[in-house]
Amino acid sequence: MNRSVPVGAADYNRVLEWLYREAALLDRGDFEGWLALMAPDISYEMPTRQSVYQKDGDGHASHFGFFAENHSSLETRVKRLQTDQAWAEQPGSRTRHFVSNLLLEKAEDGEFHATLSFMVTRIRSDLPYDLFTGERRDVLRADGEGFQLVKRTILFDQTVLKSYNLSIFL
Amino acid sequence: MTDKAEIAALVDQDGGHISRRIYTDPAVFESEMEGLFRRAWSFLAHESEVPEPGDYVERQLAGEPVLVIRGKDGVVRAFLNSCRHRGMRLCRADRGNASFLRCPYHGWSYSSEGDLVSVFAEELYDADHLDKSQLGLIRVTQVESYRGFIFGCWSEETPALSDYLGNMRFYLDILVGRTPGGVEVMGPPQCWEVHTNWKFATDNFTGDNFHLYTAHGSVAELGMLPPDPMSLSFGNLVQANRGHVLHIVPGPPIPEAEYFGIPEALRPMVEQTLTPAQLEIAKGHAFSVGTVFPNLSFMQVMVQGDLNSPPTPFLSFRVWQPTGPTSTKVWSWLVVEKEASEEYRKATYEAYVRTFGPSGIFEQDDMENWEECTRVNRGAVAQRYNLHHGMALHVPVDPDFAGPGKAWPGSYGERTQLCFYGEWKRWLTEEEPWT
Repeated sequence: MNRSVPVGAADYNRVLEWLYREAALLDRGDFEGWLALMAPDISYEMPTRQSVYQKDGDGHASHFGFFAENHSSLETRVKRLQTDQAWAEQPGSRTRHFVSNLLLEKAEDGEFHATLSFMVTRIRSDLPYDLFTGERRDVLRADGEGFQLVKRTILFDQTVLKSYNLSIFL
Repeated sequence: MTDKAEIAALVDQDGGHISRRIYTDPAVFESEMEGLFRRAWSFLAHESEVPEPGDYVERQLAGEPVLVIRGKDGVVRAFLNSCRHRGMRLCRADRGNASFLRCPYHGWSYSSEGDLVSVFAEELYDADHLDKSQLGLIRVTQVESYRGFIFGCWSEETPALSDYLGNMRFYLDILVGRTPGGVEVMGPPQCWEVHTNWKFATDNFTGDNFHLYTAHGSVAELGMLPPDPMSLSFGNLVQANRGHVLHIVPGPPIPEAEYFGIPEALRPMVEQTLTPAQLEIAKGHAFSVGTVFPNLSFMQVMVQGDLNSPPTPFLSFRVWQPTGPTSTKVWSWLVVEKEASEEYRKATYEAYVRTFGPSGIFEQDDMENWEECTRVNRGAVAQRYNLHHGMALHVPVDPDFAGPGKAWPGSYGERTQLCFYGEWKRWLTEEEPWT
């Protein structure tokens, strides 16, 4: 049984601060620093979504998506961003990762299960904002004073990605 | 509509010069919708997306919503997704299952075979003002399936699908008919929007193999492509017939790269299923990218999903749906042999999603290029200067190639792009482009 961690509890504040620090690393382009927060057994997934009648559920694909990453593939993405020829990020995107509506539970094994809303804005060149919104389900494992991300499931609100690529992390 | 002579002048397929206007001009786009997309065969759905009676998906055919639905009799049909009463979009989900389709506006109801079966307050109509037999859903004029790939066409005059595909069937069979069960989709399509003209994407998928080492220089730098930029220049560019084109490229000379790298367990099936000529091609090659004219593309490639994974094959199909002169909705399906193991399904999915699609470390850079090209090609001054499609046009046809159509040795060249544009011009300027 997971135990709810109330808003304002010490664990809640620690997780929230970790989420803010993670967002700051991404928005500052410190991808190596961000990768250091990923557990060796990280699973990072983002299912595709379809618009369906409510009797058919929420439309998230069960085994198909935009991301199906492990530590090695996230590391590959970070290394790619460090080349001079990753044109999708050369020049780089300006992103803002907003996280809110955090609901937190602590599992019996000590891992924290966070459910939150995210909004990410991205600007490239002088183009209009790309907007990415949805729900994120993160599983965090204690790592010294901080945490490592063990699992992230990105439940996207768009059924058709209204951006020409997904060259950023959500 | 733009004057036909004016359109013809935009493409010089012999000289290799293409006007930038074909990627930006609203009048050219209107001509395309009329001359090409409302006449040519377009891919709608794969049969494995609608396996059960009543299963449906919504797709677009020449910019109009189409419902692809399997009837109670097991037959897959396609209809304009529009009620005959007020034109309401009848079915408003991307997919689902329904035994009846009831219009949300006034309640006209249709069977899964498209017949109008009931009308609200039917007793209030005079009998001669409501002939239900004439008010069924508007059928897509022609619907046919090839190896599970369902195509639709809004024109009666266009030849049957098998004639339209012609020699391309030989190559499609190598990709999607190489095992007894054929292929099935691995999930819903990835969909995303790109501010480019649909032909920019298609151009890239008509066999442009020489963009790899610059457009995808980042992954080359990581060692995910062979170090020599000419090492993927071998193989052939192929015009199967008309505008149906592809490249076919060998991998490294190791058994793992034969048969496009598909798992050992599937190879005996391939050997029993394909013809000797098809087998010769399948055995000797690891990569094939091409386009079924006008806008269904495919890519069969072997790629490392990440730096620590072995090269793994995947097969993806694309529709570059034109939504405007400079906007395109991309649909990308991943397909796999029905006989494939769970282990292989996981591996091929991960290889695909990590490298291609909008999040893939290869493809995210492609869209960057296509959007930037499109923004610049809009310019009035830019449009005074044609684009250059002139690589390896002098190469004579390869007489020893095992497949039908014309094949040119070497996979770096722009011959297949020009075949595509030549066919494009025919559909925009000729009464019967298929003759």
